[in-house]
Amino acid sequence: MSQASLNLDESREERRARRRAKRLQAVPYSQRVTGSTRFWIIAFLAPFLTLYISFTLWPLLATIIYSFYEWDGNGPLTSEIFVGLENYTKLVQDDIFWSSFANTLIFAVTNTIIKLPLALFIAILLTRRWVWMKRIFRTVFFAPMVVPVAMAGLIFNFLLHPALGAVNDVLTSLGIVDRPINFLGAQYAMLSLVLISVWQILGQYMIYWMAALQNVPEELYEAAEIDGANEWHKLIYITLPVIRPVAVVILFLSFVNALKVFGLVVALNAPSDATRVVSSFIYNQALSEPPFRYGFASAAAVLFGVTVLIAVSTQGYFVRKANH
Amino acid sequence: MTTKNYAMENRLKLLRFVRPGRFFQYNLLILLGLGIVSFIWIYPFLWSIFTAFKSDSAIWSAGASLLPEEWVWDNIPDAWERANFSTYFFNTVLYSVSATMIVLTTTAMCGYVLARYRFFGRNIIYGVVLATLFVPIATVIIPQFQLVKTLGLLNTRAGVILALSGGGALYVLLFTSFFSTIPEEIYDAAKIDGANFLQQFQLSLPLAKPIIATVVIFQFMQTWNEFNVPLVFTFGNQDLRNLAVGMYAFQGEHAMDWPGFAAGTVISIIPVLLVFFFFQGYFVRGLQGAVKQ
Repeated sequence: MSQASLNLDESREERRARRRAKRLQAVPYSQRVTGSTRFWIIAFLAPFLTLYISFTLWPLLATIIYSFYEWDGNGPLTSEIFVGLENYTKLVQDDIFWSSFANTLIFAVTNTIIKLPLALFIAILLTRRWVWMKRIFRTVFFAPMVVPVAMAGLIFNFLLHPALGAVNDVLTSLGIVDRPINFLGAQYAMLSLVLISVWQILGQYMIYWMAALQNVPEELYEAAEIDGANEWHKLIYITLPVIRPVAVVILFLSFVNALKVFGLVVALNAPSDATRVVSSFIYNQALSEPPFRYGFASAAAVLFGVTVLIAVSTQGYFVRKANH
Repeated sequence: MTTKNYAMENRLKLLRFVRPGRFFQYNLLILLGLGIVSFIWIYPFLWSIFTAFKSDSAIWSAGASLLPEEWVWDNIPDAWERANFSTYFFNTVLYSVSATMIVLTTTAMCGYVLARYRFFGRNIIYGVVLATLFVPIATVIIPQFQLVKTLGLLNTRAGVILALSGGGALYVLLFTSFFSTIPEEIYDAAKIDGANFLQQFQLSLPLAKPIIATVVIFQFMQTWNEFNVPLVFTFGNQDLRNLAVGMYAFQGEHAMDWPGFAAGTVISIIPVLLVFFFFQGYFVRGLQGAVKQ
């Protein structure tokens, strides 16, 4: 999506060289931007930045600040309710937090592992020139995205119903299972949640992959065909290497977005222990019923976010190191 | 000599490969595979649409079958009038259209300036916008709630719209990378003709149609189905709910009124599908242009 994000795998020396080249090339801003232009630049930036700082940046910062207070959302943040790291020490001992932490990670990882390869496979098929009825298939995979989460939760509550649902109806009449399975019971609830969310979001990642695949020059495939490459070879030696930089971005986006899962969990209404995720933990602590524990919930958001960020970035660091 | 023969042989292989017959076989195979997967994919979607035309008792006896034995046409008008879905629909349209317009305008302006001008703070803005895309904080709803409350906009439509318009980092990056592909010569020519800043911006907007379509589809879909923000910001006034929240509440208030619920879904799905069909031609092209950068 941007230069900086795409070249995650270039070495430090390369990056330094590129920056130096850019600096030399760039016209000093004092020469380019003068008078009325300066006014217009500020006027063009201001609307976005105002909204963005208010509703994205400030909330991130505020979450950190709140996490040091014993605060119920009313009144000012005074020194009397400042508790330092107490929210965090309580949180570390909170079993429910850790189980929702684990659930969120399990959800995000399995969701990404299933979703991305499947979406890539479908995208590869649907970008081949000779495949028929591409528009229809594209729309089919896109359709679940427009279903509101509350409805998605309810559809699957019905379809997966142990006694009356369509899925068990099909499975038992085909003789695949003897007894109806309780898909939304404690044992299978997480798996169902993951699969339903894959069902819903696949279209978006299919489109991301399709966009990435359009960057692969058709000539490369033609040349490979002349050299006798089969479809598998083309995938391994041409497609994947060419789309790798974009793939890293898609992977990160997918993972980070999966960590934010909330609506589907609420709508599916599965047993709370099996599918409780960090967002629903925060929601329950801070907003669902008194006493509202804003500070504690904020600490949960920060602790989770920071842990994941550290885990992901160290992994990214080692992956990058291993590549060179 | 041998190498030449080898190349010839491969060329013949290729010819055989592109023969229509072979493609026909591949297509049948793919159609079969994709057909099965798409049926599974579209089934829950179709189920919710057809349920809107079933009677309450028929749903439970139908099992896996899709088509109703007896078509019931009253569910959708019923949901529209009695279950307050007309209000929810109006709210959803208002939220989605306003938030999409606001996000589209602000991100396009910001992306344009970031792409064309080098000024103090430019790289900081770009870097921060990029970085927040990858911050895994599960939710920032609490501070957003506090901010809207401080502004006195809690339980107002304006509050919901503002909160829904506060994102768009990805769109800024899309616009920035797109506008930086426009050659400077175009602007030089315009400047000679006396075009000022605003006219230069107007000049580049039509070129960005694919990105505009992408932003419209993504943002419209996201706000149309948004659940979290309207749920929290309209606790105090049910008349401000959007369809997603209204349907969730409907589930609690009318336990088991499945056809009514499905009717609500149909009401909610159709406008988004229209937006998708209308803009989809530009859609993939827009993303493609963006990732090329």
